[in-house]
Amino acid sequence: MRKIWFFMVLASLVTLLFIDPEDSINAMMNAGADAVTLTIRLLGIYAVWLGIIALVDACGLSNKIATLLDPVIDFLFGKTDNNTKKYLALNMSANILGMGNACTPTGLKAMEGLDKQNNSSTASVAMIMLVVINATSLQLIPTTIIGLRQQYGSTSSSDIILPTIIATLISTIVGVLLVKLCDKFYKKHKKDDKPKQDYPSTKNKILKNFFTSKNAQKGKCTLSNTQKNQPNKIVFKDNKK
Amino acid sequence: MNVSVFITPVLIILLLIYCAKKKVNCYNTFASGAKGAISLCLDVLPFLVTIFVAIQLFRISGLAETTANLFAPVMEVLGIPKELTELMIIRPFSGSGSLAMAEQIFSTYGADSYISRCASVIMGSSETIFYVATIYLSQTKAKRLLYAIPVALIATIISSVVACLLCRVM
Repeated sequence: MRKIWFFMVLASLVTLLFIDPEDSINAMMNAGADAVTLTIRLLGIYAVWLGIIALVDACGLSNKIATLLDPVIDFLFGKTDNNTKKYLALNMSANILGMGNACTPTGLKAMEGLDKQNNSSTASVAMIMLVVINATSLQLIPTTIIGLRQQYGSTSSSDIILPTIIATLISTIVGVLLVKLCDKFYKKHKKDDKPKQDYPSTKNKILKNFFTSKNAQKGKCTLSNTQKNQPNKIVFKDNKK
Repeated sequence: MNVSVFITPVLIILLLIYCAKKKVNCYNTFASGAKGAISLCLDVLPFLVTIFVAIQLFRISGLAETTANLFAPVMEVLGIPKELTELMIIRPFSGSGSLAMAEQIFSTYGADSYISRCASVIMGSSETIFYVATIYLSQTKAKRLLYAIPVALIATIISSVVACLLCRVM
């Protein structure tokens, strides 16, 4: 994250020196102002959602949702304490119901809980998983886009719902699988040569971000492999029977 | 009218009824919950400013466009129309920016064209990855996310490829 930021700002500023040096400082000020406006708007949105979430919590519904989603949470995030589990469950249900603005406050609360357990400067698998799940979005009905299509005179504005659901499911499933895979790889790596600082991983991170295209193909390979492997396994089992 | 607009209000109504049944003091509970938003936003603000500066500079310097042009051939191979590369590059950084770009695509190509439908599905199935990562990390001691962002990016690219394929078939 810090490296991407550094390179983005540096490269942009250097380019702007040649195009329009005056504009660069203006742009930065505007960006700051934009961020403040957004935060103030978010403050209102978060306040309403946190109020609603407090209601969900107070009437005991969050505990029920947590027990309902318990197996899923155990699989994705491993062992967590009860309170964190509750917020994780709320975050996932908000994700699935497409209440995008409710995801963030619940996710942040869950993140806090996970962070307390982790207690290190490097994110734990559970934390990474939470970020990836939220960053790949599980929104099932894209209301904003449908509205926009209607506005631009689409005759069948909602025919994108099905492809969107499929695409979003794929992105989340790929994300979850990749996190599990990376975790295994990372742990192995750590055991092998116990580095004082985890240089290889940060290097990979930069490389990956600069050559996303290459990785897209790589990622595709792992996906197709896993997809191929799973049906095979099932076939073998059937044969044995 | 879409059915989906009813989901959230209906859920909130059901929640209120359930709370009344459980004799929860709704007024006070709601207020105390809402109070948490203040500290939340105070924590998030500095990080938002930081990431916004980078995004704004990245776009205004034309680097976003250059990167898009650079990746266009690769995207073509993956089956993504080259008109959508800039949208895909901006999407992980900025929600409003990519939405504006989608609007532009709708108005130039018509909302029912193949390209617009691809853009819609990509918009609907992806998220502002860097923004999410920034906000989520603002609350924690852990500042190193390891492979989270690459993984999310890869997943999004794969789903975008699938999205374009689906739009062709469906």
